Amino acid sequence: MPLPFLTHTSGSEAGSSGDRLQLAWGPEDEAFRADLVAFLDAHTPAEAVGGFDFQGDVSNEHELVPQWMRDWQATLFDHGWMIPGYPPELGGRNCTPVQTLIYLETLANRRVPRSGHFPGYAIVAPSLLEFGNAEQQTMAPSAIRGDTIWCIGMSEPNAGSDLAGIQTRAEVFDDHFVVNGQKVWTSYATIAQQCFCYVRTDPTLPKHKGISLLIIPMDTPGIDIRPLRHLNGMAGFAEVFFTDVIVPRSGLVGDLNGGWRITQGSLAHERAGLWVESVGRLEQTVAGLVELAQKQGRAGDPVIRRKIAQFHELASSLRALGYKGFASFAQGSSAPEHSYMKMATSEAGKAAYELGMEIVGPLAPVTDASFADVGRWSHGFFMSFANTIAGGSSEIQRNIIAQRVLGLPRA
Amino acid sequence: MDFSLTDDQQLLRDTAHKLLDRECPSSVVRAHIDDPTVYEPLWRHLREYTALGAGPASDLCLFLEETGYVAAPGPFLATALFTSLVGGDGETTGTVAFLDDAMNPFVLEADRVQQIAVVGPGPTLSVLEVSQIREQLRFISTVDFSRHVFQFDSRSVTLDSKPFDADAYAAWRDRAHASIAAEMVGTARRIFDMALAYAKERVQFDRPIGSFQAIQHKLADMSLALERATSAVQYAAMTCDAAVADRTLACHSAKAAAGEAARRILKDGAQIHGGIGYTWEHDLHLYLRRATTDEDMLGTTSWHLDRIADLLIVES
Repeated sequence: MPLPFLTHTSGSEAGSSGDRLQLAWGPEDEAFRADLVAFLDAHTPAEAVGGFDFQGDVSNEHELVPQWMRDWQATLFDHGWMIPGYPPELGGRNCTPVQTLIYLETLANRRVPRSGHFPGYAIVAPSLLEFGNAEQQTMAPSAIRGDTIWCIGMSEPNAGSDLAGIQTRAEVFDDHFVVNGQKVWTSYATIAQQCFCYVRTDPTLPKHKGISLLIIPMDTPGIDIRPLRHLNGMAGFAEVFFTDVIVPRSGLVGDLNGGWRITQGSLAHERAGLWVESVGRLEQTVAGLVELAQKQGRAGDPVIRRKIAQFHELASSLRALGYKGFASFAQGSSAPEHSYMKMATSEAGKAAYELGMEIVGPLAPVTDASFADVGRWSHGFFMSFANTIAGGSSEIQRNIIAQRVLGLPRA
Repeated sequence: MDFSLTDDQQLLRDTAHKLLDRECPSSVVRAHIDDPTVYEPLWRHLREYTALGAGPASDLCLFLEETGYVAAPGPFLATALFTSLVGGDGETTGTVAFLDDAMNPFVLEADRVQQIAVVGPGPTLSVLEVSQIREQLRFISTVDFSRHVFQFDSRSVTLDSKPFDADAYAAWRDRAHASIAAEMVGTARRIFDMALAYAKERVQFDRPIGSFQAIQHKLADMSLALERATSAVQYAAMTCDAAVADRTLACHSAKAAAGEAARRILKDGAQIHGGIGYTWEHDLHLYLRRATTDEDMLGTTSWHLDRIADLLIVES
C-alpha cells in the first residue's frame, strides 16, 4: 500500500534541496569549496602546510604570534577568506551560513590556523559592528586583518565564572572615565595595542546592570602588564593593573551601564559553525591515538582498542550533533545543540590525552630530548585543562544546558 | 551534510507520535505483561506502516524512535527487519533468526508473524512459514515484558538455504543496527522526559529538586548523551540511504552511542525518581526494562565498539 511519506524518496537528485537528507551540499556550495581549496593550495604558508599543531609546540621560546601568522591573516583578509560571511571590506565575500561551515571545516581538516590571536577578529570586530558607533566601527577592519592586536579585559581575581561580579571601577566624568582595578588571565595583553575592557560604572545598580564596555589603548599611562606563565611553563596570558587610567568618553562602546548584553552577543556569523574546529581536532586526536598504539605495539591490546573505538564513536556522534544543530540554525530556529558542543569536545579532549598517556605507559612523562616524542601526550594533557575552564567552565555549561535548554528552575 | 528533516519526514514523525501516544499509553504496555493479546488493536494501526521497512532507513528510523518512545509491543521492528532482508512491500509479516551466532541467540516476536527468515553462516538465507515450525520455537522470558523472544531449534527443520550476497547482507546488518539504535534512543528519550518532568515537579527542602545543581548536572549529562546518540542514529540512517563508505562505522557507532546513552539515562533517570521509581506501580520500570534489554539485541555495546576497533585499528 502506498504511503504518502514514501513518495518523495524514489529520486536520488542530490543537490536539489528538500527531497531527502543529504550527505553532500549543492553545486554552488561545492564550487565555493573548490575555490577555497585552490586558494589554500596556492597560498598556505609553509609553516602551516601539512597541519599546524598548536599542542605540539613545547618550546618556551616561541613567539606568541609569529610573523608568518600575521602575514597569513592579512593575506586571508585581502583575498576575502578571513571571515567569508562578511563583505569584502571586512575580509569576506558575503557567503552563506552553509559556506561558512564548509570554510571552517576545510581549515580544520587541514589544520590551517586563521590567526594567532582570536580576540580581535572573533570577539571585538563583531561586537563593534553590532554595538559600536560609526567611528568605532571603523576599527573593525584592522581588528579582523590582525593589524591591531586586541586583548579582552574580562576575568578578574574575584570574577571568574561569576563574570558579572567584576570590580574594576570606572568613575564617570563629563568627558572621560578614570579606571582603577585589575584584570587577570588576559590573553595577548603583552602584545596588544588595544583592550576591550569591561568595567563597573555604577556600583549602586544590581551587578549585571552597572557594567560598561570601554576601549582602552594599552599604552595609556597607568596600565601595568605582568605576564603569567601557564601551568605548562609557557607564557601566554597576563595580569593587567589599572591605576587612575584616563579613558576619553569616546571609548565607551554602546550605552553607559549597558555592557553586560554585549558579553552575550557577537559572533553571529560564525557561532553556528565554531564546533567544527574542536570536533576536527578531536578526530585528529583519535587518528593520532591509533598511530600511537601501532607505534607502541599496543594495537592488539583489547582494552586499548575498545577505548580508542569509544573515542571514534564520541567524535563521530558529536560531528553529527553539530551538523544537526547547524541545520536548525540555518533554518532560523535556535539551536540548543551548540550548548553541548563546548562542554563535550573539551572534556573529550582531556580524556583523549589521558588515553595517549596510558598507551605510552611509564615513558609518558618523559620530556628528555633523547626519547622521541613520548612526552607530547602529557604536555597536551596539561594544555587540555584550559579548555574545560576557559570561555565558560564545563560546570557553567551544564548550568546553561539545565536552565536554558531543559528549562529547569534556578536555585 | 544537511540534517534538516523534509516536510514529509516531519509529518511522518508527528503522525507516528500522535498515533502511538493515543494507541500505546503505558496502560497497554503494563497490560501486556499478563495479556499478550492487548497489542492487537495497536497492531492494526501499525500494520498500515509496515511498508516503511522497505523504504529509506531515514524514514524508518524516525518511526522506530516513536515506537521505542512508547515501548510498543508487537512485531513492527521484526517485520521491518524481515522486509528489508527478504524484499517485498511489508504486506507479509516476518522476523529474522540467526544460526550459529552467539551475539544473536533469539528470534523476535516469532509468535506474531507469518514468516521467519533464517540467516546461516556464509551467509545463506532461507524463508520458512512460522506455521510449519511452531514446535521448534520456545518462548524465552526476559526482564522486558514489551517484547517476545524465542529460541529457534533448527536441528529437525529442513532448510532450503540459498547463498545470500555478502554485500547486500552487510548493508542489511548495518541498517538493522541503525534500526534497533533508533528504537533505543526513543525509549531513552521517554525515560529522560519522565526524569526531567519529575525533577520539575518533585518538591523537597521547599523547592523543586530540579533546582539543585546535583540534579541539573546529571540531567545535562543525560541530555548530551541522548542528543549525541539521536544524531548518531540519524547520520547512520543517512549513510544507509546514500550507501557511503562510512556506513558500517556509522551504524556500529550509532548502536554503541545508543547503548551508552540508554544505560546512563536509565540508571540516572531511576536515581532522579528516587523511591517512587523503584515501585511496581510507577510506569518507569516498563521503559527501563525495554532499554536494558535493547542493549543486548543485535550486538552489545562492547561488541559494536570492538567492530569499530577492527575497522579503525590495524595491528602492525
